[in-house]
Amino acid sequence: MDFSVVFNEAHLKFLWDGLLVTLEVAAAAIVLSFILGIILGTLRYTRLPVISHLATLYIEVIRNLPLLLIIFFGWFGLKEWGVELPITMSVILSMTVFTSALVAEIVRSGLNSVDRGQIEAARSQGFTYLQTLNYIIMPQALKRMIPPLVSQFVALIKDTALAVAITLPELTHNAQIIYNKYPVAAIPMLLFVALIYFVINYSLSLASRRLEKKLAG
Amino acid sequence: MILGPSGSGKSTLLRCINKLETISEGELVVDGFKVNDPKTNINLLRQEIGMVFQHFNLYPHKTVLENITLAPIKVRKMNPEEAKKIALEYLKKVGIPEKADAYPSQLSGGQQQRVAIARGLAMKPKIMLFDEPTSALDPEMIGEVLDVMRTLAKEGMTMVVVTHEMGFAREVADRIIFMDEGQIMETGTPEEFFNNPKEERTRQFLSRILKH
Repeated sequence: MDFSVVFNEAHLKFLWDGLLVTLEVAAAAIVLSFILGIILGTLRYTRLPVISHLATLYIEVIRNLPLLLIIFFGWFGLKEWGVELPITMSVILSMTVFTSALVAEIVRSGLNSVDRGQIEAARSQGFTYLQTLNYIIMPQALKRMIPPLVSQFVALIKDTALAVAITLPELTHNAQIIYNKYPVAAIPMLLFVALIYFVINYSLSLASRRLEKKLAG
Repeated sequence: MILGPSGSGKSTLLRCINKLETISEGELVVDGFKVNDPKTNINLLRQEIGMVFQHFNLYPHKTVLENITLAPIKVRKMNPEEAKKIALEYLKKVGIPEKADAYPSQLSGGQQQRVAIARGLAMKPKIMLFDEPTSALDPEMIGEVLDVMRTLAKEGMTMVVVTHEMGFAREVADRIIFMDEGQIMETGTPEEFFNNPKEERTRQFLSRILKH
């Protein structure tokens, strides 16, 4: 197998640019979907009359749609409605919309997993509902949310490659451009790109396992 | 002390006192607060009522000291240094000052329950509620928890206790409430209750539990 096309300096630079876009989109979407997901999941958990139902509606609609479709809506759809976003922004928006719904479900089940006795103990001491959520339930729930959250964020990083469909210049897209020009390099190029994704995501999983152990200790 | 067979409503009655249970009808007044009235600020009343649960319900992500100081600091807005001083005082009182920096999971059941009592006391409550505080404990740890409660009773703390420990009830209670099928069947002093029960249902209950 010939890797010379891959390790050509200009190509590596091009792949590097793609990787930076991937990381930029992923990092922004992770932060935003975490914040939005915590809010949505908590709102759904609280069973506040109207608000909790709105959160549920959002979560159920979004998590039952394909991400690719949401990426299309976020690009072609918004354009159609006269909203012109830079393509990076559009993908960050779509990935955030999609992932926040899944994060919200992780948050809700994390909150639900905290023993009812904890809530009763806190309420019996005179903590308000919000204080109970803040000091007692959320800290215990967050710890349990780490593994599913990390899987979700790993999925997000991988799925940025879907944005190839709207030609976001990310890692997979740039690899494609190169091997379209040099078809013999297709497999080496895909292997190389696969390795990059693997290293990033596997390091993330290892880091989360370490964090989990530290918090459990 | 509230006694009675399982499912007779003892815990439910106890949990109505601080409204952990929803009150469907009737009137309940505790320390001048109308507990059943939705307009009553229940959090104010709850600050005055300590509660100890069957399963301890300590906060597992906090140290023993933090378990005790959290509510005084956040609910009573006490200064943290002051709260810590009081917490250590009560830890000494329940006999485990050396466990201040441990986490609940590192303690035995009896120790956890004593921390839970200290946590309740640190709010300087007017009343302490105990919901079967020894039912989840290994037999050899029941004594250490009852000892702490005995001391509290002697010092004049107002306590409402749901328990199956008949010997303890007989020795420590000022008043026994006997419940069955959601009703208060009989109330009286321990002497009256154990030696001279008025109700047939009470006699049946006592004959069954005092046999062994």
